[in-house]
Amino acid sequence: MKMLKTKIGDFFIHVLCESKNLRTMLEKNFHSYIPTENIQPDIVIKIEDGFGVSFQDYYVDIMKDNNQILYRRADYVIKVDSDYKAASISVHDELALKHALMNLFSSFIVYHNWGLLIHSSCAIENGKAHIFAGQSGAGKSTAAKLSYPRNLLSDEATLVRITEEDVQIYNSPFRSEIEADSFSGNLSLASVQILFQALQNKREKVAKSDALFQLMDKVFFWPHSQEETSTIMKLITLLVMQVPVYELHFQKNNSFWELIS
Amino acid sequence: MMTHFIQKGNVEATELDGEWIILNTDQYTITKLNGVGGHCWSLLNEMQTVDTLTKSLVEEYKAVQNKEQIKQDVEEFLSNLTECGLIENVNRL
Repeated sequence: MKMLKTKIGDFFIHVLCESKNLRTMLEKNFHSYIPTENIQPDIVIKIEDGFGVSFQDYYVDIMKDNNQILYRRADYVIKVDSDYKAASISVHDELALKHALMNLFSSFIVYHNWGLLIHSSCAIENGKAHIFAGQSGAGKSTAAKLSYPRNLLSDEATLVRITEEDVQIYNSPFRSEIEADSFSGNLSLASVQILFQALQNKREKVAKSDALFQLMDKVFFWPHSQEETSTIMKLITLLVMQVPVYELHFQKNNSFWELIS
Repeated sequence: MMTHFIQKGNVEATELDGEWIILNTDQYTITKLNGVGGHCWSLLNEMQTVDTLTKSLVEEYKAVQNKEQIKQDVEEFLSNLTECGLIENVNRL
């Protein structure tokens, strides 16, 4: 069976996939620029097609027994061992595969208490990362495009490692429009912007407690247990304790960067 | 009969810059408390009554002359927290 070896965040991942179409999508989005040969994988994922119907809605049914967690949407089903070392994904199409991988990976990094996948874009300025978070339509990808020629670490889902010492951003392979470049390191997170499109630029710092509220619904997660929800809460708390969060009201041009750098 | 209140087990609380965030992991709700609310919340890890909380606040904030107002506020606060599923009352004879 064909195998793709890749690295996302700090994790080595082996993906097994027979379907040619899905493999093309995987190779395009999850190509690793760093050598991954001869390294034991942290998780092995087996992928197949032929499941379900095309995208209906975002509702995911979650079931759990002793050894496995099962995430089921109309267009995908994920079965993952409770120690997150092996998973299988069955999908209807490429979109379903993309969403299923985000679902699995976000649960995987929370399981390892490593970090979060945040609904946002992220641009680099002077060697530091700046996040632009918001609901669909708030302007994440607009802010990402307007940040050109700055390099991007994400345009839809930012990969954030959170520890008590620091908060680091990794290049995210989970992209909507702008493909990832070859950057394979990580950069410290300097600020988080919660986006609002407006007629005038304005950037205001948010109290830490409000920042936590604002970020709760920007995290990709499909909780299956109270422990998991509490881990997510603790990770967001660590983030807002270390990184300033702002409300950014911005016009649709690149002048908002004057308020950041 | 005196009503006793205590924190429920399914909650996580965090203090951030003098404010408190309480997460109910059963219902996925988040509640924000100011400093005074956080003071009461901390005490509620053991059983408290309206009177014990009022007494503590009067001492903490040196507000003897406002005791009646504080008592009313504590009653309202406890009823709000109960509604949010963050504390439960235990009736004792």
